[in-house]
Formats: sequence, C-alpha cells, structure tokens
Amino acid sequence: MIAEEVMQFLVLASLIITAYLSIKFKDLIACAISLGIFSFLLSLEYYILQAPDVAIAEAGIGAGLTTAIFILAIRGTERREVEE
Amino acid sequence: MRKLLIIASIAIFIAFFLYVAINPGDFGKPAGRHLVFGYPKYTDMDDYFITHGQIFSAANNIVTSIVFDFRGYDTLGEATVLFAAVMGIASVLRKLRRDEE
Amino acid sequence: MKMSKIVRTQSGFLYPFILIFGLYIVIHGHLTPGGGFQGGAVIATGFALVVVAYEYKDVRKWITANRLSLAEVTGLLAFIITAYLGLGSTFFRNWLANSGSIFGSRVPPGINPGNLNTGGVLPVMNLAVGLEVLGGLGVIIVYMLNYLKRGEESAG
Repeated sequence: MIAEEVMQFLVLASLIITAYLSIKFKDLIACAISLGIFSFLLSLEYYILQAPDVAIAEAGIGAGLTTAIFILAIRGTERREVEE
Repeated sequence: MRKLLIIASIAIFIAFFLYVAINPGDFGKPAGRHLVFGYPKYTDMDDYFITHGQIFSAANNIVTSIVFDFRGYDTLGEATVLFAAVMGIASVLRKLRRDEE
Repeated sequence: MKMSKIVRTQSGFLYPFILIFGLYIVIHGHLTPGGGFQGGAVIATGFALVVVAYEYKDVRKWITANRLSLAEVTGLLAFIITAYLGLGSTFFRNWLANSGSIFGSRVPPGINPGNLNTGGVLPVMNLAVGLEVLGGLGVIIVYMLNYLKRGEESAG
C-alpha cells in the first residue's frame, strides 16, 4: 500500500516536471519528446488507477502518434523556437 | 496584480489536485463515499450491466460489451467523428496540392 | 531528411512486433483490456514509426493513402452493416451471441479463463473499428508527409 502511494507521488511529480519542461525548452524536438514522456507517465498513472483501457489508448495515441505527428510538423517548419 | 492572480489560481489548482491525490477514494468498493467527483448514489444501471453483461453479450470483458453492445450509439458517433476529422484533413491538404499543380 | 542508421535499424527490427501486438489487442478485445480503437491506434503507431524513421519513397510501395482510406471506409461500413443486421429486434442488437455459430459459444457465468469463440458481434465490431482507426490515423500521417515532401521539393 505504501509502495503504491510512493509510486503515485513519483509519477505525479514527474508529470508536473515533464509538463513544465515541454513548455520551457527552446528546441522543439525536445519539447515533443518531453510531451511523449508526459503521455507515457499519464498512461502509467491510469494503469495505477485501474483503468487499463484508457492506459492503452493513451500510450498508443498520446505517446506514439502525437509524437510522430509533432516530429513531422517540426520537420516541415523551424526546429528552434525564435525569440520575438 | 495579474501575476498575483495567476499564482493564486495555480496554487488553488495544485492544492485541489493534491487533495484529490491524497484522498483518492475507495476504488473497487461499491458506492464509495469518499470519492470527490460524483457520489454514486444510484447504482441500478451499474448493477444491471455488471450482473447481465456477461450473459447477454457472452463476453468476459464488460467494458467492451458496454462500448460495443449496450452503448453502441456512442461508438458509432466516435467512429463518425474520426471519419469527419480525416475527411477535413484530407480536404485541406488536397486543396494545396491541386493549387501547386 | 533521413533519420540516423541507429533509428532506422531499430525501427525496422521493432515494427513487426508492434503490428502483432496491435493485432493481438484487436482480436482479444472481448477478453482482455483493449479493443478496436486501442489496437488500431497501436497498429497505426507501428506505421508511423516506419514512416518517420525511413524516407517516404522507401515505404511508398505498400503504405499508400488509397489503401489506408480504403481500409477506413471498409471498417466504417462493416461496423454500420453489422449494427444494421441486428434490426430483427433493434439496432445494435447482439444477434450472434449464444447462437452456437461462429463467435457464438455460450460463456459460463463468473470468473473463467475465457474463450476466443465467444462474444457474438463484439469481435466483428472490434475488427471493423480497428480497421477504421488504423486507416484513419494512418491516412493523416501519410497526407502530412505528402504535404511535407512537396514543400521540400519546392524549396530545394
């Protein structure tokens, strides 16, 4: 029981850290990878909360497909974020 | 002033989610009283699905039997939404190609 | 733009396993967690991995937008037709369950290890929705890649 709560707090803290990093990075590919890690940790959190269906959907779409789509979009545009 | 408002709203948000994370409710027990979102006071539909789902749709996975059998209209709408999204993307990107040619 | 050799080798090694795992999720949708939507998304992830890692002209032979949209339309039509076939009583009637024919075995009540030959129309609908989601999400990626390729050609 204690291990589960410690795991949950670790996952939630990592969620906040990756969400902050994904808006803080200037390299947009690093942002996309950080967002993928965010989705993966979110699917882990769903699995801890006993929702395996949603966990599979989140891991497939969030961590796999949107990362690929973001990388394709970054390929077509600029890689670095420019200061205005 | 604006920064203060932002910090206050973020603090309230984080405090709310920390409260929910510390008291996650009784998962797995029927009609958990400590769940923050929604008190499952009336559980007639849940009990009906749980007791009859395995017999009516002859499947072990009750989630799938609800998604595709009892609530099939929802899945039909979801499939239609996905189809409409793909159709929109195809129309946008195809128009650009025709302009170039 | 080409990815590095490490990425290409590893994705070439990994994508058959991803496709088989997605097919497993789709087929066992009525026994284990998962289903058509999740399995189709996993299969589309495998396609996306190949398409992102390799150049598009290497995979253009067998991942085409026409085939993927054909898969999507076929899946949606099969889903709706399967729902219409239950119109003897109601729309979305599970007309194959407990009938004794294909996918029609009787399931014992309570906790049991599960049998693949059960579920009625649920496996059929899982396959249809899996085909539809795989085609839809794949077609988005292929269209984006086509647009990207045209931009690179006009720029360079």
